[in-house]
Amino acid sequence: MEYEAVIGLEIHIETKTKTKMFSSSPVDYSAAPNTLVTPTDLAHPGTLPRVNKRAVENAIRVCHALNMEIDETLYFDRKNYFYSDLPKGYQITQDKRPIGKKGYLDLNIDGQVTRIGITRLHMEEDTAKQLHILDYSLIDYNRAGIPLIEVVSEPDIRNGKEAAKFVELIREIVTFTDVSDGKMEEGSLRCDVNVSIRPKGREAFGTKVEVKNLNSISNVEKVIDIEIERQKQVLASGGQVIQETRRYDDEVKTTISMRVKNSAVDYKYYPEANLVPIHIGREFIDDVIKNCPELPTTKRMRYADQFKLSQFDIDILLASKDVSNYFDESVKHTTNYKLVANLINGEIATFLNKNNVQITSLITSPKNLARVADMINDGKISNKQARTILEHLFVEDQDPVQVAKKLNMVQISDENAILALVNVVLDENPSVIEDYKNGKDRAFGFLVGILMKKSQGKINPSIASTILKQEIEKR
Amino acid sequence: MDYTALSIKEIHDLYLSGKVTPLQVVEQAIAKAQKDTNNALEKTTFAEALKQAKDLSNSPVEKDNLLWGIPYFIKDNISTKGVETTASSNILKGYIPLFNAEVITRLNNKKAISLGKTTLDELAMGGSGMSGHLGYTFNPYDETHKRRVGGSSAGSAAVVAAGIVPFALGSDTGDSVRKPASYAGLVGFKPTWGRISRFGLFPFTPSLDAIGYFTRSVFDAALLLEVLAGRDEKDFTSSLKEVNDYTKYRAGVGGVKIALIKGISDKITNKTLLEAYEKSLKELKNRGAIIEYVNIDQVLINAIFSTYFVLSCAESTSNNANLDGVKFGLRQAGETYLDVIKNTRTKGFSPLIKRRFIIGAYSLKQENQELLFKRAQKARRLIVDEVNKVLSKYDVIYLPAAPGIAPEFNQKADNLNIEHLVADNHLAIANLAGLPSITLPLCLDNDLPIGVNLTGRAFAEKQLFAIAAVVEEITGLKGLQVGSKK
Repeated sequence: MEYEAVIGLEIHIETKTKTKMFSSSPVDYSAAPNTLVTPTDLAHPGTLPRVNKRAVENAIRVCHALNMEIDETLYFDRKNYFYSDLPKGYQITQDKRPIGKKGYLDLNIDGQVTRIGITRLHMEEDTAKQLHILDYSLIDYNRAGIPLIEVVSEPDIRNGKEAAKFVELIREIVTFTDVSDGKMEEGSLRCDVNVSIRPKGREAFGTKVEVKNLNSISNVEKVIDIEIERQKQVLASGGQVIQETRRYDDEVKTTISMRVKNSAVDYKYYPEANLVPIHIGREFIDDVIKNCPELPTTKRMRYADQFKLSQFDIDILLASKDVSNYFDESVKHTTNYKLVANLINGEIATFLNKNNVQITSLITSPKNLARVADMINDGKISNKQARTILEHLFVEDQDPVQVAKKLNMVQISDENAILALVNVVLDENPSVIEDYKNGKDRAFGFLVGILMKKSQGKINPSIASTILKQEIEKR
Repeated sequence: MDYTALSIKEIHDLYLSGKVTPLQVVEQAIAKAQKDTNNALEKTTFAEALKQAKDLSNSPVEKDNLLWGIPYFIKDNISTKGVETTASSNILKGYIPLFNAEVITRLNNKKAISLGKTTLDELAMGGSGMSGHLGYTFNPYDETHKRRVGGSSAGSAAVVAAGIVPFALGSDTGDSVRKPASYAGLVGFKPTWGRISRFGLFPFTPSLDAIGYFTRSVFDAALLLEVLAGRDEKDFTSSLKEVNDYTKYRAGVGGVKIALIKGISDKITNKTLLEAYEKSLKELKNRGAIIEYVNIDQVLINAIFSTYFVLSCAESTSNNANLDGVKFGLRQAGETYLDVIKNTRTKGFSPLIKRRFIIGAYSLKQENQELLFKRAQKARRLIVDEVNKVLSKYDVIYLPAAPGIAPEFNQKADNLNIEHLVADNHLAIANLAGLPSITLPLCLDNDLPIGVNLTGRAFAEKQLFAIAAVVEEITGLKGLQVGSKK
């Protein structure tokens, strides 16, 4: 029988704020444990929650990016359960009226666009961090109360690849809008998935399995496909999928059961009376949207329409907010967009990788990079020379024109000079011309190589090959 | 002279005239408190109070600050920095707050002098003054210690009634200030929900909770509201509405429309009370008030208590879920965190509290929510709509605060008796609707006080005081305390 997978995602995002969701306690992930804790975070009696405005703004930014309906009034609810990492014995969240609902995200996979519905987006607070060592549990309340955004998708996803793409886009959105650093490895973006399978063509859902804590985008794809396969095998062998929570185990390369869900936990949700509904209004929402950093989708369109960049280049530039910001800064100084993209995705990426540094700490200014692109475009230097110049610019930010001068680097673009050199080379290699005319394409490249060598790489390669072709024809 | 039996205003006038110093007054209050036989005190801070009083006595009297050098007590469910606060529950034994409630900060700024903390029904849940971890709090009017003072603000009612201090802070979720005020012959006031910051008040039912207080006069009640009311950024539910000059009320009822709710008052059988109530109505009418009986659906009136009870139990389970032995207060060892929580809560709460938590959790359970919690929420909405309809036509609702004098400890309330169900529980209307409400002494029955209650429109406290001041004039019971009317 042919099966179809039905997948829904729940993504928790720690959002960047100076203070916690409902208290004035500072947020700093690098602080020593239990140093950023106020009586409110420890649920001392009589403390009251206060809503963090920035956290609300962050939620609105993501709602907007996900094409959601945004509620003009904020409603908070309590989710009640006892756990050692939950100081109040309840979590303040949004149950009945999430700030965002009915959104969507378009996945573009190999040119095919799939629209994934988004059920809801709500704000809540994080729990304390726990560390279990032998018989002891250590609790770090620094994390208690950090603002979270939860995005819940519709069960519209059908395979691991789509899920991975979805998470990737969410990550892109939250990083580009400055809402979160979106680091899955560090837990600032956490993904839980619900997977079920059903015979193709059937409407009713199969039994849902929850897979928890997938800590990288590549894992999302891999683990979902593994889980789908596992469920298929269970059914193929006459078994039944049971409703449970599983997690991926890297050693056995499959998901393993954590706990069976006999019935859903009753969280006894009810309205949070310490926060009466807060009317934020359309104007506030519009303002937040207006001041939101450019969304990645808008950026994509701009790069394609205005800069005529290829999909390939765009994908590389947008893989990092900082890289795309560097690109945006550079193209303020030049119109050679494609060349700038090439340099960033080529020389600069190689340099950053090799030295393990971030583009934000790159010494070379976007302006000087733009100049290098201009010099290439004007035929003043070759690509190879550009590489050499950049090596100098990586060490010290300086005017590339001066560097070229210092290195005595002038590209030969004068057609007469090139013509003379070409004829010298052709005269010296009659057999190679013969080879070329007999259909050996490699012979042409060989000749270009000799030309470059003779000119110490200073010859303009595109002019040289045009002239070379002409001269060979003549012989 | 018996200074501490005076009103705030009277003590202030004595300070101004130089006839007495804060030190003398505080010393007298402490001497009386030390002889307290009503089991009204949780924790005293006499040494600090004396030091503060000494300092003030060496500095000039602050003319326009009526709270300057005035001693008072605080209900022990209000957070006091550095002073153990237990809410009269074993589970909070040893809990020393790191911060002051907003009301305490404000009173400190005014240089009022706290003498310590008073007893309450455990975690403010109860109306008898019998369920705190220190045992019963006695009604000062009964030297044989047979009678309740009521609750939950039991100790605060007792210390003011006994003439130890001129005012004490309480909290009011169903009638926890206004009912004991009736039993103890005091002015008991709760403001509009959101008028006084709840920051630092141990939550029982946040949607109903209000900080309130006991005084000996309506003027003192107005005076305290001027200081305590106002927006507090620490409490998102505190109102942004402007604070009025409450003490500038002009006592008078000319043209004032007063509503009486027959379905409540006709359940009362106490003759002395009914006579005094009728007499006061006549007097109010003589002074120009327009008094009319209004009808509210009896089904709704009968549902006030159950509505209040379901909602308060439900909210309280959640609000006290922080008391788990993990972070502060009592802690009982256990193998796992769940054992720690279970053992601590088993040991820390009395059976009465556990009963409420179970009722609350039960009514919040998914399968019961519709039938219990949500139904109670709907009933609340219906009751509130009816009450607000009345208050759209009338300025206040005027009713006996209780069906009679303070009951004896061994007196069993028949919960299904209609007099008890309605006349003993109707004050919760003001909590359900978030309205300002004031109880003041109406009469004495066998030397024991009974109060009358006025409930007004939201944020119309100034008008409420103006009307209450007339009732105070009519009853002649201003400044009532133990022994003063024998």
